Amino acid sequence: MNERLETKFLGFKLASPLVLPAGVMGMSFSGLKISADLGAGMVTSKSLTLQPRTGHKGPVIAEFEGGILNSMGLCNPGIKDGLAEIDEFKEGSDTPVIVSVFATSSRDFIALTEEVNSSSADLLELNLSCPNVYDEFGIPLSASKDQVYEIVSSVKDISQKPVIAKLSPNVLNPAEIALAAEAGGADALCLINTVGPGMLIDTLMVKPILFNKFGGLSGPCLKPVALKLVYQAYSVVNIPIIGMGGISTGNDVVEMLMAGADIVGIGTAVYSRGIEVFSKINAELLQFMDENGYKSVITLPKLEKLDV
Amino acid sequence: MKNRSTLRIAEIRKENFDINTYRFNFDLKAKPGQFIMLSDLRGGEKPFSISDCTEDHFCITVKRVGEFTKRLFSCSPGDLLSIRGPYGSSFFISAGKVLLVGGGYGTPPLYFLAKHLLKNGAEVHVVNGARKAEELVFCEKFQKLGINYENTSECGRLKNSGTSIDLVEQAFRNNSYDFIYAAGPEMMMKNLQDKLGKLPYEFLLERYMKCGVGLCGNCTVDPLGIRLCVEGPVLSKALVEQLTEFGNYHREASGKRIYFMKTDKGKK
Repeated sequence: MNERLETKFLGFKLASPLVLPAGVMGMSFSGLKISADLGAGMVTSKSLTLQPRTGHKGPVIAEFEGGILNSMGLCNPGIKDGLAEIDEFKEGSDTPVIVSVFATSSRDFIALTEEVNSSSADLLELNLSCPNVYDEFGIPLSASKDQVYEIVSSVKDISQKPVIAKLSPNVLNPAEIALAAEAGGADALCLINTVGPGMLIDTLMVKPILFNKFGGLSGPCLKPVALKLVYQAYSVVNIPIIGMGGISTGNDVVEMLMAGADIVGIGTAVYSRGIEVFSKINAELLQFMDENGYKSVITLPKLEKLDV
Repeated sequence: MKNRSTLRIAEIRKENFDINTYRFNFDLKAKPGQFIMLSDLRGGEKPFSISDCTEDHFCITVKRVGEFTKRLFSCSPGDLLSIRGPYGSSFFISAGKVLLVGGGYGTPPLYFLAKHLLKNGAEVHVVNGARKAEELVFCEKFQKLGINYENTSECGRLKNSGTSIDLVEQAFRNNSYDFIYAAGPEMMMKNLQDKLGKLPYEFLLERYMKCGVGLCGNCTVDPLGIRLCVEGPVLSKALVEQLTEFGNYHREASGKRIYFMKTDKGKK
């Protein structure tokens, strides 16, 4: 990898500012490994829960012109088997790894944090924003600044790993939520999770395409929303940000970095540009820097913060 | 809508007591080895290998195993189904003398392959095995191709009794092949692999698939991390040989590892 792409995040040295986000390729050690080998500077596990979950019945994916809808339903092998995959990944890789966890109460988040403490994970991400389990768990925690504060602060009390709060775009007061996560002690923010949820309809069968009816929206159509929300959060908090949402090219990554992100997640572009998307975007970043006279990723400028 | 169609079933053909072939009159433009994601949008979407495909129709062959496939068995011609694809890698179309090894309900995609191999001028030999004679599928269809076709069952009233591997050994005594293809139970392919030496081959592998488009990671195979829905389901010898999970374990819907043989439990 090229040293001009190197960056730092919460003290970890990353070979590239590109991150594999939760929910993409993160089911197995080998899925994480191929992403890192092909140019991701950091990788994230699938969101793990205390017990294994098989997720929703299919279809769980619907492709459309602007991206995809998904309602995977938090399928994962459970925290114990999931962390065994992480340990196996770390045996063969120096790439920092984030373990994402999902729960609906402080008590369960604490139980998950204890498991992560005794694993080889480098960072802990709290998924406070899955949009695909409304029926089961209600509105995501990240809709309430009080809940975000409570969960982040109770996890921070015991976590031996840096804590990242993964936030939802689907809230009325995103800046307040970001501030609540920071006040709770979050070391970093990750945003945005998928948008909506939305739905698509099969007009011949007269049925929603997703069996869960609704699913989180991802893909290129998200980019403007993601840029705006990252920029808003960047303007109010003093902790680093993993920015993501519809990012699929080198120029998109530069936009996200300028909006205030420190590093950038690449998810749905794995579908549209292949698993080699990380190496492709790394090359595009270098080309952008060459053409515009920037020495390295860390010297790329940021927008002036919003006046708030 | 990219890659998805809603199609009417044109014909349902009963292959045996729990296997049906569904024909759709649609130009899918699929290659042998590729698959579709099929759903009735009533809860359940599963990958199915394409068992035949021409410019005006394609077929899939379905075994009744769970809730969703049970519902497919109560469908009639004219009913609508949701189809995504074709997805995945396809078989190399070899020339020369080739052997196709099928096991159980894994055999149908080899029929689609055999047609393409014949078109390419290959001499096609097929061995088809099942546990019981009544579980064998596509026997007549293969015979109609006018190729060298043998079938066997471990128990039953056929001329041959034993596994497909027994027939492979017999075929190897009388022939020298340029390329080997296999589809069926993984342990059959594992046993076959041990017999192949330096022969080039491709296997059609099965893993639990959810998204079908290479995102969710449920069907990645260790330790390479390649996705069976994109880089597979057909894998070359060079890739299969590197897979530590081949013949060892697979991942279920939750992503939890399931070992093929209990004695292998805990082994990495």
